[in-house]
Amino acid sequence: MSLNRKKKKEEDMSNQKPYTKGTFTVQAIMTVAAVFFIAPIFIILNYSFKGKKELYLSSPLSLPESLNFENYMKAYKKLDLATTFTNTLIYTAVSVFILAILCGTTAWAIARCKRKFFKFCYIYFIVGILIPYQALFLPIYMIGYRMNMTNTRFGIIFMYVATGISFGVFLMNSFMSTVPLELEESARIDGCSVFKTYFKVVLPLLKPAMATLIIMQSFQIWNDYLLASLYVSKKQLKTLTVAIHSLFSAQSSDYTTAMAAIVISVLPIAILFLSLQKYFIKGMTVGAVKG
Amino acid sequence: MKNKINYMERRMSRQYLLLVLPGFIIFTIGLIVPLFMAVRYSFTSWDGMSPEKLYVGFRNYIDLFQDSEFRDAWWFTLKFTIGNTIIQNVAALLFAVALDSGIKAQKLYRTIFFIPCLISALVVGFIWLKMFSNVLPAINDFLGTSFHFLLFGQKETVLSGLLIANNWQWIGYWMLIYLAGLQSIPAELYEAAKIDGAGAVKRFFHVTIPMLAPAITICVVGITTGSLKVYDLLVSSTKGGPGRASTSMIYQTYTTAINGRQYGYGCAMSVTLVLALLLVALIQVKSLKKREVQA
Repeated sequence: MSLNRKKKKEEDMSNQKPYTKGTFTVQAIMTVAAVFFIAPIFIILNYSFKGKKELYLSSPLSLPESLNFENYMKAYKKLDLATTFTNTLIYTAVSVFILAILCGTTAWAIARCKRKFFKFCYIYFIVGILIPYQALFLPIYMIGYRMNMTNTRFGIIFMYVATGISFGVFLMNSFMSTVPLELEESARIDGCSVFKTYFKVVLPLLKPAMATLIIMQSFQIWNDYLLASLYVSKKQLKTLTVAIHSLFSAQSSDYTTAMAAIVISVLPIAILFLSLQKYFIKGMTVGAVKG
Repeated sequence: MKNKINYMERRMSRQYLLLVLPGFIIFTIGLIVPLFMAVRYSFTSWDGMSPEKLYVGFRNYIDLFQDSEFRDAWWFTLKFTIGNTIIQNVAALLFAVALDSGIKAQKLYRTIFFIPCLISALVVGFIWLKMFSNVLPAINDFLGTSFHFLLFGQKETVLSGLLIANNWQWIGYWMLIYLAGLQSIPAELYEAAKIDGAGAVKRFFHVTIPMLAPAITICVVGITTGSLKVYDLLVSSTKGGPGRASTSMIYQTYTTAINGRQYGYGCAMSVTLVLALLLVALIQVKSLKKREVQA
């Protein structure tokens, strides 16, 4: 406890740089940059509440006359939200859950077992980072078609796991040095099997890493368009991004509905990010420093 | 006793193996097998439907060399990638340095810059389509100015429009990595440089940059591979146009293979992209790692 407090104090000390005129200038410049970054988001939110008339008559920066949720109701219907939202949620949640388990165990085994095969595995998985799946979308579609995996929930989840695993293994691997070996050894002396050691001892120590993994994979899968558009053509299996794409083409002039659809699609990921942000930043720090 | 240890070790590595195998198999089926399929089908003239796949040797690759659409797609993808790699790295690094300079409410800025990358690239494309075509011109009218904002409408400006959209989305993400790197540089190094009489600029180039070498490697490789695979962004914004001015490699492969039913030819395109990705990553990692060692 006291150690923790001391550490925190040190952190505060290092962050305390004198606030000079220069710092003030930097603050001013960054504020302008931040306004530019947030402006499109403000405009989307603004438009999502505006009526069709206001779209042409009022300035884009003026606030809507009243908070009407009509656009949201329209977007709900046009997106077939009950179906598409559930589908996307299932695909994302199941894939990320499987990835969280697989990437952790795989990375740990690779880090701990010194046999040649495991060293090979590490390089094998890195190939998947250097070649993003988009570059291979065509054969990925072909193999899915051949194995009757297109237009099935199983197929798309399988592919999200397969295409996400290399990044996950790489990420988790850089965290393994933060797990003290002594703990694992004492668990083993107590008679724990390899599996039990992982789930009882190692996994609880990997929380920040898991948070980072969950956020990164969630927003990648939730936002994916290419794979979803290739693998799913049945109406009842469609994802949110695919539905949004058809809404964009249909609603290009009355785009207030599209703006409401955008808000709906971003909201879940934004909530996830804001609630796990603390762990996520910590996780990124370890990952980046380690390289 | 020795036998027992051997037995234990063997049992343990078998258990480790069980942990690795599921991921290994899924990854192999989902990515490595398709990689070999791409190579194999690139030597055929398969149309995606007929049962027989005619072997044509290097015909597809020879055709690619004479295909002007293919060349244009590569040219656009390269311009987009180089632009992104330079702008995103410099901007992300500058933003990170600015945020680390002791300004107030650092966390708020960090969150604001990071938010765009939570949005799907497909949506980002649409947002900027509407920004350029409707919102910004309306602001023009409102302010009485006449800036030219229809960037997606002309061949000459479409690239800069897409660069704006892509950078808006990703700068915050790479900034976060640089920020993490900056915060791990020990303050004593700066103190020592100060005592030696190094000014702020000199300290930046002789302390900050070398100490950030691992983060720079991650960001450069990440931004390059991320830009080479651009597709989602184009689908909802420019659709590869105007004309074919913003058709990327993947966009071109998609139209050729899926819409044009030339799977064999499309596979040959995929193979060139994969080779380019591997080559670029290899060169970058090698040269950047060398700098890391020297630093």
